[in-house]
Amino acid sequence: MLKATRWAWVVSLVAVTGAALVLAFLLSFATNSPALYERYYLWLFWLNVAVAGLLTLVIVIASARLVVRLRRRKFGSRLLLKLAAIFATVGVIPGVLIYTVSFQFVSRSIETWFDVRVEGALDAGLNLGRATLDARVRELGERTRAAAERLAEAAASPRPLALERLREGLDAQDVAITGPAGQTLAAAGGSATSLLPDRPSQTMLRQARLQRVTSQLEGLDEDNPAAAVSARVRALALIPSREFGLGEQERFLYVTQALPQSLAMNALAVQSAYREYQQRALSRDGLRRMYIGTLTLTLVLAVFTAVLLAALLGNQLARPLLLLAEGVRQVAGGDLGVKPVFASRDELGGLTRAFADMTQQLADARSLVQRSVAQVEGARAELQTILDNLSAGVIVFDSLGRIDITNPGATRILRLPLAAYRLRRLDEVPGLAAFGKAIEQRFELHGANLAAGEQPLWQDSFELAAPDPSHPEHSAGEQRASMTLLVRGAPMPQGARLLVFDDITDVVSAQRNLAWSEVARRLAHEIKNPLTPIQLSAERLQLKLESKLRGADLAMLTRSVGTIVTQVQAMKSLVNEFRDYARLPAAMLVPLDLNALISEVLALYSTAQDAGRLHADLGEGLPTILGDSTQLRQIVHNLVQNALDAVADQVDGRVRINTETSRNARGEPRAVRLQVIDNGPGFAEKVLQRAFEPYVTTKNKGTGLGLAVVKKIADEHGARVRIANLGQASPGLSGAGATHGAQVSLSFSKLAPGNSPAAAAATAVADRAH
Amino acid sequence: MAGVALWLGPRAWAATTPALTFFEIDREDDAVALNYVVDFELAPAVEDALGKGIPLHFMAEVEVLRSRWYWRDRRIAHAVRTWRIVFQPLTSNYRVSFGGLSRTYPSRSEALATITRSGRWRIVEPGQVEPDSHHYLEFRFRLDTSQLPRPIQIGIGGQADWTLEVERTQAFS
Repeated sequence: MLKATRWAWVVSLVAVTGAALVLAFLLSFATNSPALYERYYLWLFWLNVAVAGLLTLVIVIASARLVVRLRRRKFGSRLLLKLAAIFATVGVIPGVLIYTVSFQFVSRSIETWFDVRVEGALDAGLNLGRATLDARVRELGERTRAAAERLAEAAASPRPLALERLREGLDAQDVAITGPAGQTLAAAGGSATSLLPDRPSQTMLRQARLQRVTSQLEGLDEDNPAAAVSARVRALALIPSREFGLGEQERFLYVTQALPQSLAMNALAVQSAYREYQQRALSRDGLRRMYIGTLTLTLVLAVFTAVLLAALLGNQLARPLLLLAEGVRQVAGGDLGVKPVFASRDELGGLTRAFADMTQQLADARSLVQRSVAQVEGARAELQTILDNLSAGVIVFDSLGRIDITNPGATRILRLPLAAYRLRRLDEVPGLAAFGKAIEQRFELHGANLAAGEQPLWQDSFELAAPDPSHPEHSAGEQRASMTLLVRGAPMPQGARLLVFDDITDVVSAQRNLAWSEVARRLAHEIKNPLTPIQLSAERLQLKLESKLRGADLAMLTRSVGTIVTQVQAMKSLVNEFRDYARLPAAMLVPLDLNALISEVLALYSTAQDAGRLHADLGEGLPTILGDSTQLRQIVHNLVQNALDAVADQVDGRVRINTETSRNARGEPRAVRLQVIDNGPGFAEKVLQRAFEPYVTTKNKGTGLGLAVVKKIADEHGARVRIANLGQASPGLSGAGATHGAQVSLSFSKLAPGNSPAAAAATAVADRAH
Repeated sequence: MAGVALWLGPRAWAATTPALTFFEIDREDDAVALNYVVDFELAPAVEDALGKGIPLHFMAEVEVLRSRWYWRDRRIAHAVRTWRIVFQPLTSNYRVSFGGLSRTYPSRSEALATITRSGRWRIVEPGQVEPDSHHYLEFRFRLDTSQLPRPIQIGIGGQADWTLEVERTQAFS
């Protein structure tokens, strides 16, 4: 912008200089000092040509730039061209008009200078002067000749008085009688100051001899006007000789007459006017060229200046517009940065300022919107995080009942990639057809006929059946057992529906356990009471009747009573087990050494140990744990017995029991782990889920309470029970059975304070003694 | 623009090309003098102008240079002679000015005759010419139109009639 301004200044300066030169030109005309003007004409002319050339160059460059911009379709060039054209037209048209008029005017006026009558008058004046002078010369010649003849008739040598009279008679300046070589013999004249009158020239002497008399004009030269004062006419006449003597020498009468000063001056003035006029006439073409050249140059300079100023003014006008347009384009492109302001006080400047303000406000508004959007985004992201980490499954249906939003919890619980079923109905999801329909039904049921003030919320539990294994969409990894879901539904605005569900299989299982233990307790109580009388009655019957019966009757009695007793015994033990399960006494937690306890229990299984079917691998230096020795003993017993039962049919069946300390990152003991591992057939998949529920068993005989009791005791001790089937790469088991097996592990995390194995052992010993 | 065209017009040689009928370099001891005779006729346009009282200027210009192989040739002498001839219609005679001297001649041929020849025009004073060096002389005789009144100059620009010029370059030792 600054550069353009500087350029504008330079160009204007050049243009103004050119104009000033032309003005000086014209001024020199006006002041009518042709000499000065003519002397510097060429210099001025070429200077102007140079200025014009410079301006042409600038205009050519500017035009080329404009054309290039137009070609490239650079923004704003069209406007610039238009403005420049308008201004240039405004400048050029008056210039051309004035030029045309002036051209005509100059041509005509130069022609009018030269007039035939003026020329004729000058010629006539000159001829008049010449005729006058000629007449004077001739007259003096005639009179001189007459005087010479008079002298010839008179005495041989005239007296000076006679000569003086002659001079006065001739009205001459000097009169002299000269010899044949022009030497003065006698003289009389006013120019006495000069000692001798000048001598006639040889030419004159020759002419005088031939024609008897000659006369001529002298000193009337244009190059020294001062000499015009001394212009004079000379006449030389041969004085005829009467005696034709040989000794007689030739004599001449030499007369000099001064020309009247006014006559000489007038004649010279006419001559100089004539010369001047002729000179002008000759230089007519040159003059016209000069004037017209000056005019043309003026026009060219003026036009160029106009064009340049037009371009500059156009630029000046267009710049704020271009600024605005550029800004608008940027805004359209999304750039709401600070816009430049055109620093002028006029409306265009105000426009750019207003535009900049507007853009600023727009930018502020946009940043505000962005900030609030970011806030909303943040809130949403937080919500999403909560949703993602929610253990409960969440599904949002849109108004058409299609799945809209799901969370990872839902996927985890249903073990289906629900996100992949977005915008599909829930009953289109394989395996969930019945579930989907049921939910739909619930929503419709609760959505319609609401009582006043009733919340349209519902909650229900669903038993989700295990999927059909033959279904092709279920790979082995996605298999799941049947599960119980607690489902809550709530309508959302715009007809959407929210479904929240939880896997409550574990809760249900726990409830079932509780119910069973209650049943078992009551049943045991009710059954156990009559059992003792039954047994006692049967034994009394045998005691009483044994002596009275013989033979087959006795045998039958004995057998029947035996049956009754054994069955009652069996029932008793069954009832006891139930009681044990239902009414386990509250655990008395005391510090004890788990290894010692296990060794004690395993003493009962010495036969199995000896047969190599049972193997204990007890870790060293176990910390003592808090536990009830009686209950823990039962756990170990149950687990070992179960394992042995599981491998009873196998020849190479083996059971391993091991203990170890699990430590945390700092190396401190965190828990004591007890593992019972067998290489039997393992748990069935169905059983695995509900192994800890009563009456779930893999065995043909047994109450199915074993693991239930284990679980219950473990809960009492705050220990965690995990059961698993061993995979192929399970280490620690060798032989053919290594490929499968079952593992039950217990982690006791309640460690005795002030732990040391020795103290624990002591406590255990004390406990045993008790 | 018309002015530009005026100056770029073609220049042709006059119909009556002036000729140097006699040209002699005279060595008098160490000095150099020039004798020459130029033969020319005035073109009708020039004669017309002269007859109307326009003063004409003739110029003879001589330059003596010494050849130098290593640099521009050195100018050792430069002499110019200028004549002014004007017709005086009042007395029908021609006046020739040469330097401070003026003479009046009754006829044109007499007046021009004084211009066309120069004898024993001493150009180089003794001692200026080096005996071993090579010298040459450039002579130019022309009608000096730059002394004409400026409008006439512009009017006659490029006219062949007004071009009267003869040149001669001659070496001497």
